[in-house]
Amino acid sequence: MTAAAGPGRRTFLRGALAAGVAGTVGRATPAPASRFHGVHQAGILDAPRPRAMLAAFDVIAATRAELTDLFRAVTGRARALTGGGAPPEVGVAGPPPDSGVLGPDVPAGGLTVTAAVGASLFDDRFGLASLRPARLTRMRTFPNDDLDPSWCHGDLLLGFAAPDEDTVLHALRDVCRHTRGAMQVRWRIGGFTSRPRPAGASRNLMGFKDGVANPDVTRAAVRDRLVWAARDGSEPGWTAGGTYQVVRLIRMLVEFWDRIALTEQERIFGRARDTGAPLDGTHETDVPRYSADPIGEVIPLTSHIRLANPRVPETEDSRVLRRAWNYDRGTDGAGNLDMGLLFTCFQQDPKRQFEAVQERLKDEPLTDYISPFGGGYFFALPGVVNASDHLGRALLA
Amino acid sequence: MDRVHRVLLPAIAGAACALAACSGDAGGGLAVQVGRARCGEGWGSARAGARTLLVHNGDSAPVDVTVVDPSRGTVFAELEGVGPGTTRPLRVGLGAGTYAIGCRPADGAAVTGPRVRVSGPGGGARGVRPLTRNDLDPAVRVYRARIVAGLGTLVRRTDALRDAVRSGDLDAARDAWLPAHLAYARLGAAYGAFGDRGDAIDGRPAGLPDGVRDPGFRGFHRVERGLWHGASAASLRGPADRLAADVRALRDGFPRAQIDAGDLGLRAHEILEDALRFELTGATDQGSGTTLATVAANVDGTRMVLAPLRPLLADRLPELPSIDAGLACASRLLRAQYRHGRWTPLDRLGTVERERLNGAIGELVERLASVATVATVRRTP
Repeated sequence: MTAAAGPGRRTFLRGALAAGVAGTVGRATPAPASRFHGVHQAGILDAPRPRAMLAAFDVIAATRAELTDLFRAVTGRARALTGGGAPPEVGVAGPPPDSGVLGPDVPAGGLTVTAAVGASLFDDRFGLASLRPARLTRMRTFPNDDLDPSWCHGDLLLGFAAPDEDTVLHALRDVCRHTRGAMQVRWRIGGFTSRPRPAGASRNLMGFKDGVANPDVTRAAVRDRLVWAARDGSEPGWTAGGTYQVVRLIRMLVEFWDRIALTEQERIFGRARDTGAPLDGTHETDVPRYSADPIGEVIPLTSHIRLANPRVPETEDSRVLRRAWNYDRGTDGAGNLDMGLLFTCFQQDPKRQFEAVQERLKDEPLTDYISPFGGGYFFALPGVVNASDHLGRALLA
Repeated sequence: MDRVHRVLLPAIAGAACALAACSGDAGGGLAVQVGRARCGEGWGSARAGARTLLVHNGDSAPVDVTVVDPSRGTVFAELEGVGPGTTRPLRVGLGAGTYAIGCRPADGAAVTGPRVRVSGPGGGARGVRPLTRNDLDPAVRVYRARIVAGLGTLVRRTDALRDAVRSGDLDAARDAWLPAHLAYARLGAAYGAFGDRGDAIDGRPAGLPDGVRDPGFRGFHRVERGLWHGASAASLRGPADRLAADVRALRDGFPRAQIDAGDLGLRAHEILEDALRFELTGATDQGSGTTLATVAANVDGTRMVLAPLRPLLADRLPELPSIDAGLACASRLLRAQYRHGRWTPLDRLGTVERERLNGAIGELVERLASVATVATVRRTP
């Protein structure tokens, strides 16, 4: 975008100059311990926080050096935002460096920032083609999709999540402010999780408990088999500690849904609406006994939970770590409310896992009531291990 | 500990005045007197880093307060109009060095408080040498001369547009519209710089009850609307005449118009803020598809503001080279959309081109914002 020499090269990094000040004044008081540093990024294994924003960006930086500066800038802002602390005092040299949305001493606010890259980043622009994660492709169009290209894909995906919406929006504004010249928002969508109603997993906007059966990622073996990038030599070395992130923006046709009988709703999901229990069980955590119901008299063979996770050894390997939020974004031309699910999942191999599940779900009865309109496939980068590390360092080294 | 003090600020302000005097700079809020009689009293020494001074005005008139380097005159923080009897927090980033409080009561001469030694490893804000009206006057004179010249061009081109409409040659009128409009866009009349006259000349139909059909819709965009929507020459005669008259009135009235010295700095970022808000969103276009030409003229207009400020900004604004690079980048991206004598209409830009342009202008306004805070008029103590 600008000449390769002199200050112009980093012209998009509005924060680069201010960062010098931040680095001194901002640290005059020790920052509270941050979970930002680690082998893996935050916001992956963590249970979904109540508020989230997914923002996909197109990188407009022109060179690999500018791209590296962008990753440094995003890292710097994510580190500062997740750590909290008073923003630097710039005096009269410029407008206030912080929006003030969270008050004068910015609290960490339980924020996580999770960065992932899309397949398009590995095109011919930055010379990264040979480093593309082996299983990273552009998101397919599935038979039941109705994708809007302006809501799909992106070079970089940033996920912001926190207990409070102001924390999320403050972070989004801050990151955009510091990176305008290097990336532009392609699409973004906010989401929320509902508090337990009345207990257990949170409900989606169809009224059903969602994400009840996730793999147990407290077990390292499960994480290594289902979540983290393969370490068997099939992936480029820099991917260690990362994971594939699939995003699906799924509209729910809630008015239509509200007009169908409860029995039908429950047979479509395979769970009871009130309790979240599988239709052969009592509690939401009960494990469905499909072997006792081979022809689907209790839990239909075409029900969502049965297709998504048949609970047989052969499909164990296709389980994903699901992290979803509800979204609400206005009204369509026919006067119907546009709301639904901001579905994301993490996995070791999108083809073996997400796509396998998706293929099993093809033409399930639920597809009449939902309409996927956007999303993308991304690779969530390895974590930032310390203060001198930055997102994508091993990729761009 | 800092945090606790600040949260409780309003409640303990009075107590803090008494406490801080003996506790020195504890890093929380340190009570400092401002006003004619006791300017800077209460501030004896400090450690480097981010500090909050609780400035209290015990006098009877409002006071403008600054934190300055008394030997170089640079300003590190400021608070305008601290009312009598009030206490307000003044946050300042202090590097090692010597500082003082500057007090300028509304009703009297400025006073500088005692010198304060600041030591320690912490970093501070960048001090800015203040600009006075006198410093800025030459820049305003140069700018004014350029606007006068630009208004001459504008009048000639708007007359040509009017004449083409009157002659009934609407092809010629369409050809004449853009040069005239760009002559206006280059003047950088952002955010009310030309007052009601500016709205009459370049206003949008927004805010008019009947929109584009409202009799109050006038100026360049009214004429544009007709020229690109098949209106008859006869129906455009009135709007074109009126536009030419409004432009003439602007030129004739300009010598009597005030340009405040501080306006130059504001305009440096507001011209492109305006372009981002009204042009790059497509809000102004009435059919000519020349939005990008307007933005290019706005970039020229920004340069025209910066040029006379340049000698003043050189040692006050380290971002200046990156602003220049950003302006060059924006110009380059915009010029690439002028091909074979035609500007690409905004809605024909590909996503990537669009994002690059949005990013370039967006980045520029971030940087230009500092021009306004640095080039504002400061009355030095």
